[in-house]
Amino acid sequence: MRVFVRLLSTLLSLAVAAGGALLALEVGWYWWRPASSPLLVPWTRWRETLAGVGWDSFAVRLTAGIVAAAGLILLLMSLSARRRDVRLHDPATEVSVTTSPRSLARLVGHRVRAQDNVTGATVTASAKKIRVRATSRLEDENQLRPRLLEAVSALLDVVPLLKRPKISVVVDSPKDRR
Amino acid sequence: MSRKTISSQALARSYGTERTLTFLVGLIAVLGAAAVFAVSYGILGEFRARRSLVDPMAVDWLGGHALASRIGAIVLGVVLLVLGLWWLRRSLRTEGRPDLELDRSDEHPLTVTSSAIANAVQADAETVRGVSRARARAVGDSDNPALRLTLWLREGTDVRQVWDDLDTHVLARARESLGIKTLPTAVRLELETGNRQRVS
Repeated sequence: MRVFVRLLSTLLSLAVAAGGALLALEVGWYWWRPASSPLLVPWTRWRETLAGVGWDSFAVRLTAGIVAAAGLILLLMSLSARRRDVRLHDPATEVSVTTSPRSLARLVGHRVRAQDNVTGATVTASAKKIRVRATSRLEDENQLRPRLLEAVSALLDVVPLLKRPKISVVVDSPKDRR
Repeated sequence: MSRKTISSQALARSYGTERTLTFLVGLIAVLGAAAVFAVSYGILGEFRARRSLVDPMAVDWLGGHALASRIGAIVLGVVLLVLGLWWLRRSLRTEGRPDLELDRSDEHPLTVTSSAIANAVQADAETVRGVSRARARAVGDSDNPALRLTLWLREGTDVRQVWDDLDTHVLARARESLGIKTLPTAVRLELETGNRQRVS
């Protein structure tokens, strides 16, 4: 997403600069020599065409719809392009440490899989929340869940995260299906 | 907040301005389209919706204030041009790799090139236990140089241990060899999966 926003940002900046230049140029030229305008953009012809189009026409609504959709895409992309790194405490002044959410998830996953009776686990992590989904053949949710919560919690006590994320653990076990 | 320090600014390249401007353009597009819909569906008056896009009332008003609207349009155009060029320059600029000026006196100027710092710190960081790969580069500008260090840790490494070792070993040695008291540093820790090691 961040790459897209950078690309879009470059294109938009070009569009803004070109639009501003054309606007100033055309208005200035029309002011100076009304007879020989338009200069670059055939805006007199556009005006004649637009004079025949009403505000309630389908073309206007369609254009507005397309512009609104494009604007929404820009909004969503720029909102989702934020940094997702997880901050750790500074070990010393002027030293800042981060890790990626993926690394945090791997760290937690490694710890969870090392527990007894855990067959497999998937972990997703962000700076605010860690979700663990573990599978077990031998233990049901009520037995395993508190143990996993404790293990992950103990891990987070050791890793110097700036903000402690919330932990949620779900255990998927065939014993619960009986 | 602590985000303002040089080391935290060095964590990643900043796209804040680009993001904000892109967001604003999107917002303007959405609001403008909403206004057009409002006019089109007669919310701002039944008859306005039926009139032409080149509304006679608006044209009359502009004709009545010809001087002001011309000056306004030209100023708006120039402002947009300047904003667009500044924005373009900002989004196309490359991230700096400043050299470290240890001694700025005229007699014995001493400068350490950015690649020299990067290579030295990188080689040093790779000797720390648990670190499989390291990459270092100088970031920021020459007035506020900082170091960005990315460490890839082997699976099962004690992150706490590495975190403890960072300042006391790697960065302390870098500071010692450069002869400076503080070296703003941003460290990114990445944990590798152990899959590759199982094969051998």
